[in-house]
Amino acid sequence: MEFTNETIDLDLLPKFEEVHFSSLHKDYIKVVYINIAIVLLIIAIGIGALIYFNEEMQQSLAYSIFGVSYVAFALVLFFSSVASVKRRAYAVREKDILYKRGLLSTTTTMMPFNRIQHVAMHEGAFSRIYNLAQIQIYTAGGSTSDVKISGIEKEKAESIKELLMQKIQNQI
Amino acid sequence: MEFDFKTPQRQSVTGIVIMFADTFQGLIRALWAPILVVLFRMKSENYLLIALGFLALVVLTLVIGYLKYRNFTFFLDEEKQEFVLSKGIINKSKINIQLSKIQQVNINQSIIQKIIGVYSLDIDTAGSDKKEISIRAIDQSLALILKERLLDYGDKGEAVSEEKSEIISNSSSNAKPFIKVSYTTLFKVGITSNYGRTIALLITFAITLYQSFKDAISTFEIDETTVDSAFEKSAGYFSVGILVAGLLFLVLLINIIRTFIKHFDFEMIKQKQSLAIISGLFAKKNTLLNPDKVQITSYSQNYFQKKLKILDMNMKQASSNEAKEEQKKSNVIEVPGCNSYERDEILKLILGKIPEKGTPIQPNFRYLISRIFSAAVFLGIIFTVLNFSEVENITFYIPLIFVYLGLVSSVIYFGFKNNRLYSNENFVILKHGAWDVEHEIIEPYKIQAITTRQYFWHKGADVGHLTLHTAAGDVHFKFGDFTKIKQLVNYWLYQVETSKQNWM
Repeated sequence: MEFTNETIDLDLLPKFEEVHFSSLHKDYIKVVYINIAIVLLIIAIGIGALIYFNEEMQQSLAYSIFGVSYVAFALVLFFSSVASVKRRAYAVREKDILYKRGLLSTTTTMMPFNRIQHVAMHEGAFSRIYNLAQIQIYTAGGSTSDVKISGIEKEKAESIKELLMQKIQNQI
Repeated sequence: MEFDFKTPQRQSVTGIVIMFADTFQGLIRALWAPILVVLFRMKSENYLLIALGFLALVVLTLVIGYLKYRNFTFFLDEEKQEFVLSKGIINKSKINIQLSKIQQVNINQSIIQKIIGVYSLDIDTAGSDKKEISIRAIDQSLALILKERLLDYGDKGEAVSEEKSEIISNSSSNAKPFIKVSYTTLFKVGITSNYGRTIALLITFAITLYQSFKDAISTFEIDETTVDSAFEKSAGYFSVGILVAGLLFLVLLINIIRTFIKHFDFEMIKQKQSLAIISGLFAKKNTLLNPDKVQITSYSQNYFQKKLKILDMNMKQASSNEAKEEQKKSNVIEVPGCNSYERDEILKLILGKIPEKGTPIQPNFRYLISRIFSAAVFLGIIFTVLNFSEVENITFYIPLIFVYLGLVSSVIYFGFKNNRLYSNENFVILKHGAWDVEHEIIEPYKIQAITTRQYFWHKGADVGHLTLHTAAGDVHFKFGDFTKIKQLVNYWLYQVETSKQNWM
């Protein structure tokens, strides 16, 4: 019987922090633009209805307060979403999948293939225009560890899913 | 009859009705407020308009229901051993489930489904989101065959029944208990544990009592200010002292009673591969614990418990969806008041050996800064609230601020001092807690996923946070040396990915 039990040098293990991450597809930002536009439109309609039905609010002070806060909100929403999309990235290694995101912080989630429970692929209405898809990966770790990666090219998403399913199958 | 699940299948045709009902229900739930407004605001001349609108809504829902039915397909890929489900009209989803990962298949019937004569089939994996994987309309015979096919892979069904029969056969036999908790121990546990929770409960109770007392007075039209000042005069600091003493007594009493009810005649019996636990005063609870299913083992001890030489143990098991609904608390199995010898025996049973603490990592001093900052923000909010609500003599509250400061700073200090992450090749041990010092023990191969997090202002100081996701919940370690954390993460990933052991 061949049995080895050598000490593992921690520094020789593959390092997750040095992996090359691929960012989301460049068209995904357009989907984000569409979503922001829709959110802003809905809020604008809401404010419009509020002013239309409340006669007390039909005065210049209310207009300027609503106007300034709306523009400020729109700017914050726009820049934070764009920045956060740029910071999202994923990497598929031989034995696990990594997903990095976060605006103020860098959050990296690592899921070994042999702990993945199942995989779902979602295609949103706007994502489909640009041939993009979202992959959702479930582990038994519960909702805090489930990862959703949006804005991957559909063919690529399909092949990642295929790969994950294959890896899951090989485990048992 | 031979059914073929290899090609994509739709639900049974009557499923359109179910889809319609589901959509309609969802629509009503989302739009009930505007609908009510329209109904009440409209004048009687407009009833025709409302009827037409309603009709349009129904037609629209029918169309959506039909499209949902058309786009919902499922099939069994025998070659890859997976079940594939596609759905969605505008937002499309495709879900793949490896057959070996399926834990349960449930066949249910709601009222509408009963009327039409179809069943729903829900598939449960250890992952979350039960609703994701549900076939809403399927014939009974088809459902039963599909269930059989889905569970065919592996022998999960048998394993479950085996476990159940074990409970029945052993609850009657009288094996010698390996841990038995005496009344004195229960008493000791009662007077030393759960202070925080009971005090919080009592404070809310006292506040509601005080409020209703005040309300009663105002309804009797007694001049409120005289009562208030009378109350404040009598409730000087002396009476506050008595109040606190009474409160403490009450807390102890409640805790003792609760401990006795919950853990009366606590017995732990060793069986072939599992532990049977029997306890309870009114209802005898019989739980079977399989050591392989335990994801996090923990023991905790506070200052008093240390003096009395007792500690509490918790075994957290994997929580599946079903367990969440029915027996949320039984996922955590508690052993009250064991001594360190008994603790080691239990640890040996569950983990195979007594876990030794590996190299420790302690949190950075930034832990203190962040806690102090949040405590100060909380104090600030309280002050602003007090300032705006018309509290007459603020001076009365100033000693309370010192009590708060003393309490919070000691909690922060001891929380910092006790926070450690130990790791070696077999165990990860997280020590934390200001008063109840808890050790949480995880075997690395039971980790499901790992998350690291670093704020950009912590980059220079090389400080970061770590979360280990297990099937029984998450474990956090914050403000650690990020280089060391990254090294550990790489090691744990290596361990999980090379591990052949089954985590459950």
